[in-house]
Amino acid sequence: MAETRLLLVDDETHFRSPLKKRLQKRGFTVFEAGNGDECQALMEKEPVDVVVLDVKMPGMSGIEVLAWIREHFVKTEVILLTGHASAADGVEGIKRGAFDYLTKPVEFDHLVQKINQALEKRRREEEKKHEAEFKARMEQQMVATERLASLGTLSTGIAHEIDNPLAIIKECAEYMRLLIGKTDAPAMPRKKDFENAIGKIETAIDRARRITHQLLGFVRQPETVFAETDLKVLISETVEFVNKEAQNKKVEVSQDVENAKGIIWSDPYAIRQVLINLITNALAAVASGGKITVSVRETDAFAEISVADNGTGIPKENLEKIFEPFFTTKPPGKGTGLGLYVTSGIVGRIGGKIDVSSRVGKGTIFQVTLPRTREACMVMGDNKDMCLDILDMIKGDQQND
Amino acid sequence: MIKIPTKVLIVDDEKDFVEMFSLRLQEMGERVFTAHSGKECLDILERETIDVIVLDIKMPGMDGIETLREIKKRHPIIEVILLTGHGAIDTAVTGMKLGAYDYLLKPADAKEMTKKLEGARKRKDEQEDRIRKAEQRTLLRRGGNV
Repeated sequence: MAETRLLLVDDETHFRSPLKKRLQKRGFTVFEAGNGDECQALMEKEPVDVVVLDVKMPGMSGIEVLAWIREHFVKTEVILLTGHASAADGVEGIKRGAFDYLTKPVEFDHLVQKINQALEKRRREEEKKHEAEFKARMEQQMVATERLASLGTLSTGIAHEIDNPLAIIKECAEYMRLLIGKTDAPAMPRKKDFENAIGKIETAIDRARRITHQLLGFVRQPETVFAETDLKVLISETVEFVNKEAQNKKVEVSQDVENAKGIIWSDPYAIRQVLINLITNALAAVASGGKITVSVRETDAFAEISVADNGTGIPKENLEKIFEPFFTTKPPGKGTGLGLYVTSGIVGRIGGKIDVSSRVGKGTIFQVTLPRTREACMVMGDNKDMCLDILDMIKGDQQND
Repeated sequence: MIKIPTKVLIVDDEKDFVEMFSLRLQEMGERVFTAHSGKECLDILERETIDVIVLDIKMPGMDGIETLREIKKRHPIIEVILLTGHGAIDTAVTGMKLGAYDYLLKPADAKEMTKKLEGARKRKDEQEDRIRKAEQRTLLRRGGNV
């Protein structure tokens, strides 16, 4: 246990000083105060664990000091020292929140025992608090996970059901377009208006279809196929792929892969998909003249791909929500709110994890960590089991090759 | 040049879809037949000569894949285009292994559909052509042997 800080508060120096020396010999760090004011000043500078407090002092009484400590230092335990004839003071003190009281003259071992008991109580309370916090955090996490899962199931169900009526609407629109577009059709009044309206229907259908396809695509992906994957090649291909868009926006996309070998056994298609999603997101986040850096860092246990931008950044209150389905800050029709949801799903499927850190106005970094060893899987949080399964599978594959 | 209409059979349990799709294809000059179930589809094939079937995979009763198997068993020359939901691409792959010409995701794009219909029709024509030529050769050889 770390050092224990004691504070002796007593107006009698000849009582205080020898007690301090004896307590120091027992390994405690001891401070002294001659009255209530000194005690307050000392505690305000540095908190202590246990206060041994004389009840009868000139100026502020011990009971008053106790009330002040209870008000300002909830965690500090107080042991009261009372005169032989005034046990009532001690009882009063306990009622007001002291840990216990001892009557003067104090037997030294008895005092040490009390101090240790007070410390023990403090430790237990802290443990309980930690436990409660941990439990609350876990529960919160579980609720979030469950909510995501059921949301996923529900939305894919809906997506499926919507595709069929969507197909009918699309057919109707196509049919109408065909009819009014016929060269031999009689001149139609307000033909332009109709064409315009049909165009709007078609755009809306495409928008709805993008949503349903993204949703369904996430749930039932084609089977993951693992192979020797060259991250450097994948990154340069992907950067090439988005380069035109980047140039139009005058954004520089650079690669920092020189120090990495970048070979990992994984699913290249999945990684490519993840890279495309993350880089496209970064492109949307940076202004003209912005900068995006894709880098690879690796150890024997991990390969870590980062996509960093110097764009708008993500406000703290949104950071936790960005991986949820349908969360988007874009105007309707511009974003489905599925990109990062799908991306994190893909990363999970290949046994990795995705992290984000961001500062508003400075930029955002997404990190995808892919494990190479069993030890690395252990820190994958929710994806741990999946990660281990995948490693086992990979080993099987490699032996078969 | 006058277009020779393709004889298309649309099979889907979504009646409104079948109706609108067939109206559009007719407008484009194709000859269209419709069925709302796998069984109905097979019945029509007994009576009519069809070039291309557009077949929905997800149907109650006899589903698309089952229907496809039956079609390929009885009329191997007819081309089949599968219609599938996005979540069922693996089923589409199964279908193509069973001899389907291609697949389209629902809701399908009209231009893509037209392209695939043309492709399917062309493949069937070419196949029929090859069969005809092969038949002629067998006839010739037979003639030479006599």
